[in-house]
Amino acid sequence: MHVLCTYLSRCGIGETVMKTHWDIIVIGGGPGGIFAALEAAKAGRSVVLFERKREMGIPVRCGEAVGELDFASYVGIEPRWISSRVNTFVMVLPDGREVELKSDLYSGFILNRDLFEYDMAARASDAGACIRMKANVQDLIRETKDGPVKGVRVMEHGILKEYYARIVIAADGVESRIARQMDIQTALKPEDIEPCVQVTASGVHMNEHALYIYVGSCYAPGGYAWVFPKAGNCANIGLGINGKYATEDMHAKDYLDRFMERFFPDASIQRYVTGGVPVTTNLKTLVKENLMIVGDAGHMVNPLNGGGITHAISSGIRAGKAAAEACADPGKIKKIFSGYEKDIYKQFGKNHEHQYRIKDVVYQLSDEDYNRIGTEFLKLDVDKRTFLKMFTLVVKQKPEFIVDVIRAYSGI
Amino acid sequence: MIIQTDLCDQCGTCISVCPVDALMLTEHALLIDHEKCTECMFCVRICPVAALEKQS
Repeated sequence: MHVLCTYLSRCGIGETVMKTHWDIIVIGGGPGGIFAALEAAKAGRSVVLFERKREMGIPVRCGEAVGELDFASYVGIEPRWISSRVNTFVMVLPDGREVELKSDLYSGFILNRDLFEYDMAARASDAGACIRMKANVQDLIRETKDGPVKGVRVMEHGILKEYYARIVIAADGVESRIARQMDIQTALKPEDIEPCVQVTASGVHMNEHALYIYVGSCYAPGGYAWVFPKAGNCANIGLGINGKYATEDMHAKDYLDRFMERFFPDASIQRYVTGGVPVTTNLKTLVKENLMIVGDAGHMVNPLNGGGITHAISSGIRAGKAAAEACADPGKIKKIFSGYEKDIYKQFGKNHEHQYRIKDVVYQLSDEDYNRIGTEFLKLDVDKRTFLKMFTLVVKQKPEFIVDVIRAYSGI
Repeated sequence: MIIQTDLCDQCGTCISVCPVDALMLTEHALLIDHEKCTECMFCVRICPVAALEKQS
């Protein structure tokens, strides 16, 4: 009977036998949450993951581009996750000229992120994690007002339930409401977020192996527009503007409408998504008592390019391992958790501080600056057009920029 | 604030900038706690699709 109950509860079958006490609760089923649940389950811990939405991986609020080496260092890649391979990077200037960068500079994929998350959730489940959909975590249950987390209150299929755990992992994305309940300040200032809109369009005839980045405030003030190819002449076409340029009259959607009208007036739209990307430095506090924060919820996004998939995966894996370790050795939880925080800082937190400063300068460039830099850049052979070379040209325009460029690229 | 539910995509961007935690998502809808809301307008400006507007 016990075995049956365990089996049923793991599968989420039979409400009466759903376990209420777990080693680890994971809030949110994006890449960060899924990998955290997978790692903790692999380490033999009982894990439950709650996801508000009704289907894993959907909607895909993401441009879906990942670097090959970076991505492959975390997970063996399944062919069905890859929509297209990209190896060329094209910058489109405000005046419309295209600048191709050195061809072996970038090697990556445009994912089918929905399939990727769907499969990874299945792997987490195979490893023993219990995954619950339509399960919206309302708030944390605390022992005392300032004490550790005892559990969570979850609205599951319309019924409010309580679940308890020794450790809670907040992977609730850019909204990051869970950490707020532990008095961690996660609210973003408007200038530290990029509201984004993206369509997946068909009938787009561009180089299917190139990432196109459109720079300049005429496309997306304080951000950029992108065209990322997907299989079958489709592409993710989107843009993000800096929040400080979002007004009551001009929202991200208005800029995308303008962009589509100019470049893809005949495209058919198959998918329409919106989302917010944190473009700030990582949260300083990533652990408190027995709560850990991963991925977008901890603002772990490269503030210059907005990439966050691999940071979510990386932090999810590390948090899952650390949580399992802390369950096995509760006396050392403080040490293990502070180790997680330091580890994240070393892995990419520090680099994001430099990227943040670079972003500040890059997004101050005027459209004329971009066009001038582009003209200089186009004089070089394609083989010499590296990111570093581009930044050196930027430095000519803004000399104070040099220290951050050197730091960001040397990892100091 | 008024939420235009036919425009809202439930992406949560507004929640991330709300300084007083007055917004939350359910599976299908964005909810606002009018008692907490200070009408700072951050959410109105940041919404990618203009789904929020100030109550007139």
